Amino acid sequence: MRIKMNLPKLLLLLLSINSFEQHLQAQQTTVDSSVYDRLADLEKQVAYKKPGEDHFMVVGLATFGFVTNKTTVTSNGTSQISKTNSLADADHYEFSPMLLWRHGEKFLLEFEPSFDGNSLGVNWADISYFAAPGLIIRAGYLVIPFGTYNKRLAAGWIDKLPTDPAGVADLPPGSDFGVEVEGGLPLGNMKWNYDISVTNGMQLLPDGEIQGAGIVDNNENKTVTARLGLLPFSNSSLEIGVSGLYGTVGDDNSSFQGRKSGMFALDANYVKLFNPILLNIKGQYNYIHIDKQNYLNPNDSTSYSFDNNNSSGFAQISIRPAGSHNKLVKNLEAAFRLGNFTTPKNSLWGQKSNLVEAALLYWLNWRTALKFGYLSSKTTSTTLGDQGTYTKSASFFLQFSIEL
Amino acid sequence: MTTISIKSIASLLIISAGLIAVFSVNGCKVSQKVAAKTGVQLWTENCQRCHNTPSAASFSAEQWETIGLHMQSRALLTDEERKKIVEFMKQ
Repeated sequence: MRIKMNLPKLLLLLLSINSFEQHLQAQQTTVDSSVYDRLADLEKQVAYKKPGEDHFMVVGLATFGFVTNKTTVTSNGTSQISKTNSLADADHYEFSPMLLWRHGEKFLLEFEPSFDGNSLGVNWADISYFAAPGLIIRAGYLVIPFGTYNKRLAAGWIDKLPTDPAGVADLPPGSDFGVEVEGGLPLGNMKWNYDISVTNGMQLLPDGEIQGAGIVDNNENKTVTARLGLLPFSNSSLEIGVSGLYGTVGDDNSSFQGRKSGMFALDANYVKLFNPILLNIKGQYNYIHIDKQNYLNPNDSTSYSFDNNNSSGFAQISIRPAGSHNKLVKNLEAAFRLGNFTTPKNSLWGQKSNLVEAALLYWLNWRTALKFGYLSSKTTSTTLGDQGTYTKSASFFLQFSIEL
Repeated sequence: MTTISIKSIASLLIISAGLIAVFSVNGCKVSQKVAAKTGVQLWTENCQRCHNTPSAASFSAEQWETIGLHMQSRALLTDEERKKIVEFMKQ
C-alpha cells in the first residue's frame, strides 16, 4: 500500500513528533530532578548521623573594653585614694574560642581554651555521650554542676553586666577532672533536670584557703556535686535549682588528712515576655563550709584558727523592650544587680563586701552587646590583725562582648 | 553568720537524690499540652532562659545539629525539645 503524503502534512507530523519527544524529555527531567533532590536529602540525613564526617565547628567569644576605677581605703581614720584607667584589663577581658566535634548523633567533644589577659587556661575539655533521652554521660575536665552561673551564665555575651558576681563565680572553682551524668526530662506540664558529678575535688591550703586541685589529686577521696532543677511552668519561664557538694579537701598524709568540705547553692531564673517588656530575673546563693582546723599563718609561721565559712550571692533583674517596634528601643536593655560576698572572719582574707552594679546594654545583634556599666562596692575587712579597714570602690565600664 | 553543718548538706544531697528517684518513677511523662508544642515555641521559650533567641541564619543546618547537642547539655533540654528546636532552626 502506498501512503500518499504531501509536504505540509509531513512537516506537521514531524513537528508533532518533536513536540511529543520534548514533552517526554521534560517529564523525564522532572522525575530525575525529584529523585536527585530526594537522594541529596537522604545523603544529608546520613551525613548528620555518620561519625567522622565534617562535624567540626569553631565558635567562641571575646570580651574586651575599658574600665576606670576609684578606690578609697580608710584605716584608723586615714584615707588613701587610688585611681586607675585600664584597657582590656585582666579582670574584664576574655578571648575563648570553643571547639566542638560531633561524631554521629551520640558523641560530642567540647574544648574551650581561654586567654584572660594574664594567662592561657582551659575552661573545659570533655567528651559527652548522649546515651538515652534524659541521660548524658560526660568525662574529662568539666564544669561542676554547682549552681548555674558558671555553667550557663558566665560568658560575656550572656552576662548582662560587665563583671562576674563576686564570690559566686570563683568559689568553688568552676571546673575539675571527673565524670558527670545529667539530663532534662518532662514531668507532665513541668520539666525537671539533674546533674551529678564525681571529681577529684579541691585542696585545703596550709593557710585555710581552698583551691581547685587541678591536675594533681591530693587525696584518695572524690568529691560529689549534684544539682536538681525544676521548671514548674509549662512555658519554662521559671527554673529553681538546689545544689550540694561534698568531698574531702585535706591532703593525704598531712595534718589536714580527712578534712572535708560541704557546700550548697540555691539558684533561680525567671524570664518572661510581658509584651513589650522582656523581664529577666536571676539569682544564686552559695554557702561553703570547711571543717575547722588549725592553720598556718604564713606571715609569722604561727598557728591560727577560724570558722572556715564563705557565703556569696547575687540577685539581678534586667528589662528589655523586646516587643517594641522601634529598632533602637528594642535593642536596649537595662540591668541591675545586688551582690554580697563574705569570707571567713579572722582569716587572712576576711572581708564583708556589698556590691551594687548597673548597666545599660545595646544589642548590635542577638549575640553582640555593647555595655555601659557602673559597679560600686563597699568592703569591711575582717582579716586577722586588720579588722575594720573600710574600702569603697567605684568603677565605670565600657565593654564589648561577642559570640561567634 | 549561720553555720550549716556537713550533716545538713549531706541531708540535702540525700533529699535531692530521693526527689530524683521519685521523679524518675512517677515522672518523665509529657502532657499533651507540652507534647503539642512546635519548634518555634520551644525555641522562643528555652533559648531566652539564658540568652537572646538566636537567628536561624547564624549557623548552617549541619552546625545546628552540633549546637543542638551542646545546648542540650548546657541548658538540660529534653531530647524532644532539642530535636524540635534543631529542626526549626534548620528550615
